[in-house]
Amino acid sequence: MGESPPKVRLNVEWLSACGGCDVAIVDLHEKILEVLAAVEVLHFPVLTDIKGYPSADVGIISGAIRNEHDRHNAERMRAACKQIIAFGTCAVYGGIPGAALAHSREEILEKVYLHNRTTKSDFIPSKEISPLENQVLPIDEVIPVDLYLPGCPPHAAFIFDALLALVRGRAPQVRDESVCGRCKRTMAKTQVNALKENHEGTPDPAECFLSQGYVCMGSVTLDRCLAPCPNMGVTCSGCAGPTMQILTEPNRDIRTEIGERMEKLTALKADQVVSYIERSAKTRYAYAMATRMIGRKPTFLIKKWIRAVEEG
Amino acid sequence: MGRTITIDPVTRIEGHARVLVHYGDDGSVASAAMVVDELRGFERILVGMEASQMPLITGRICGVCPSAHHLASVHALDDAAGVTPPPAAKLMRELLYMGHIIHSHTLGLFVLEGPDLVFGFDSDVAKRNIVGVVQAAPEVAKKALRLRTLGQKVNEAVGGRGVHPVTAVVGGMSFRMDESLRRTLQGWVDEAMTLVVELAAFAKQLLIKHVKRSADLVTKLSLPAHCMGTVKDGKLNFVEGALRMVGPAGEVAAEFPTRDYDKHLVERALEFSYMKPVFFQKGGQENMYRVGTLARINAADAMETPVADAELKAFRAVYKRPCPLTVMQIYARVIELVYACEKAKKILANPAITGESRVPATFKGGRGVGHVEAPRGTLIHDYEIDAKGIVRAANLIVATQQNYAAINKTIAQSVAIAGAGKVQDNIMLNAIEFGIRCYDPCLSCATHAVGQMPLEVEIFRSGELVRTLKRGV
Repeated sequence: MGESPPKVRLNVEWLSACGGCDVAIVDLHEKILEVLAAVEVLHFPVLTDIKGYPSADVGIISGAIRNEHDRHNAERMRAACKQIIAFGTCAVYGGIPGAALAHSREEILEKVYLHNRTTKSDFIPSKEISPLENQVLPIDEVIPVDLYLPGCPPHAAFIFDALLALVRGRAPQVRDESVCGRCKRTMAKTQVNALKENHEGTPDPAECFLSQGYVCMGSVTLDRCLAPCPNMGVTCSGCAGPTMQILTEPNRDIRTEIGERMEKLTALKADQVVSYIERSAKTRYAYAMATRMIGRKPTFLIKKWIRAVEEG
Repeated sequence: MGRTITIDPVTRIEGHARVLVHYGDDGSVASAAMVVDELRGFERILVGMEASQMPLITGRICGVCPSAHHLASVHALDDAAGVTPPPAAKLMRELLYMGHIIHSHTLGLFVLEGPDLVFGFDSDVAKRNIVGVVQAAPEVAKKALRLRTLGQKVNEAVGGRGVHPVTAVVGGMSFRMDESLRRTLQGWVDEAMTLVVELAAFAKQLLIKHVKRSADLVTKLSLPAHCMGTVKDGKLNFVEGALRMVGPAGEVAAEFPTRDYDKHLVERALEFSYMKPVFFQKGGQENMYRVGTLARINAADAMETPVADAELKAFRAVYKRPCPLTVMQIYARVIELVYACEKAKKILANPAITGESRVPATFKGGRGVGHVEAPRGTLIHDYEIDAKGIVRAANLIVATQQNYAAINKTIAQSVAIAGAGKVQDNIMLNAIEFGIRCYDPCLSCATHAVGQMPLEVEIFRSGELVRTLKRGV
């Protein structure tokens, strides 16, 4: 019996997040004991009361950057940790809070305080509070990131593998399959010639959603979930963000990829699908619109598409 | 001479919150208020999105109670589409939700409030955390973690995911439950039932011990106020029924369907906070009210299941109805946790759960309102949806917003208790932290687990900063 290897020193921090990523870590259930046996948890707001940022081997950050406080803490984590993991879709792509990209601060404040069914006030809060930032940013806009683990939240299987890899000093398995890889539905060529809204009809439980005319994001979304949605009757909403292929190739995009695929599987034309997705862009791009990897694509006109829908 | 104290806890779930305390010229506490310094603007973000996606998108408002948003949202969609989900779908949704309540209430009791229960409200903060609990009571901690896991597994098996479930869709559920899944779930729920009986007894025993020891803190943090909860046939319900408001004397002040919430409730912006408190309108007045565990058991006549109902009767025999003691929100959580386990068992015993689980639904244009009782209180989603199925307006009323006025009142009471005589810094900080934590408000539930909120206190006299106290910032 040799000496047990030194424990991996771990800091965990959350920025602008919903807390779901932290619950996902607790959802390792009994496996959390295996992880905890191999790591020395230093800064971890839900578990320990160590304040500040001790120097650590690994730092896990969930949540996006939405104010100076978040930016400052991200920088302190970077300075204290040898490796930084961007954990969860908000940290990696901005997530749902990033969908505020579509609006100015004023639009948001007016809707919340002045034009709201049950709010009887004629002012916007302005004392003691800090003004909203213009935009929500993924953390790599502020600090360098070593490892990305998107997912909303990532499934425990991926969290466990990533943590175990770091504990054992090996590289994590970075699988780049799409959600389709774990989906049990069967693709079939059909004569479907109309797109269906998600809530329309009752989808066949065994056939690919695309074959049935439903826009499922599974083929353009990275699998960090083990595909529960399509396997339980729900179209993929893209919550783990786009596949590497879409992120890295300027001329590939969520809507064109799905359009081409549906043209092959149904009697629909790719253009029909593309313009349908543009009309529902606020939902389809909700999780990843704040990342520049999507935002910089030359044909990505999200604000225009959203405005067109809102103006009817 | 007036003075102002500013307390600055770095909170987690919803960002940064501070507390302002205003002293009057006579040296008594004039008022206190928590400042909530974060806004994500969901009521704007949701506009222009497809309504059918609301149960998925709005779950992301809170990863601590995503199942509550998931179901409140789908209830609003059912209302907008004018559909009634089949009996199996209703059973599956409620089962999913009981799993969530088991997970959330166990987490609240044993991870967040557990340290207070094991070590006392005034114990050494260094060991007042979950790690300390595991060391002090390893067997209980292990059982509590197992119970939480079982709840989350039920939530995940029916909801598709633990955090951010996906299977509730307008018109029902996205899949049909089979016998094999039903049997698996029955096994988990039977185990949960065994664990909860033991854990509830343990939690109650500790709570009562500390209540006796800190009688002063308990009785002075009494807040007679209106209480709101959901009742079905007069009994407490988390997912279905009317909203009932009882007054400080226990009288029913109002009982109304979800859709009428805007006739009874009003939000008022504050100059110094992003969070809008909510008030109950009656007789030309706007009244403070509470929601959450204690408010629910105050509003309900009885519990639907036998063990929980016996617990409620035993509670009322000692603490009366309505019970105004803020700290009893913890006791009420124990009663609800027992109920959630019993109710899950009852749902699974109903063979109708494996029936057809979805009816077709379309949006013809119109409004939809839905609600659930989130772990921390009533949660209301209200959407206007056009004929194309696009959200045109959204209004959300969340639990902590409704407790906001009561939390502020409790903070003022806490300061007054600590401030009797010469105020020691630490006593003041502990008292304020304790008062806030009784509500387990979403914006501080996580810092709570640390056992100590990082606080920053600035004391002003006549507008001039005379002293700064810091703890763990």
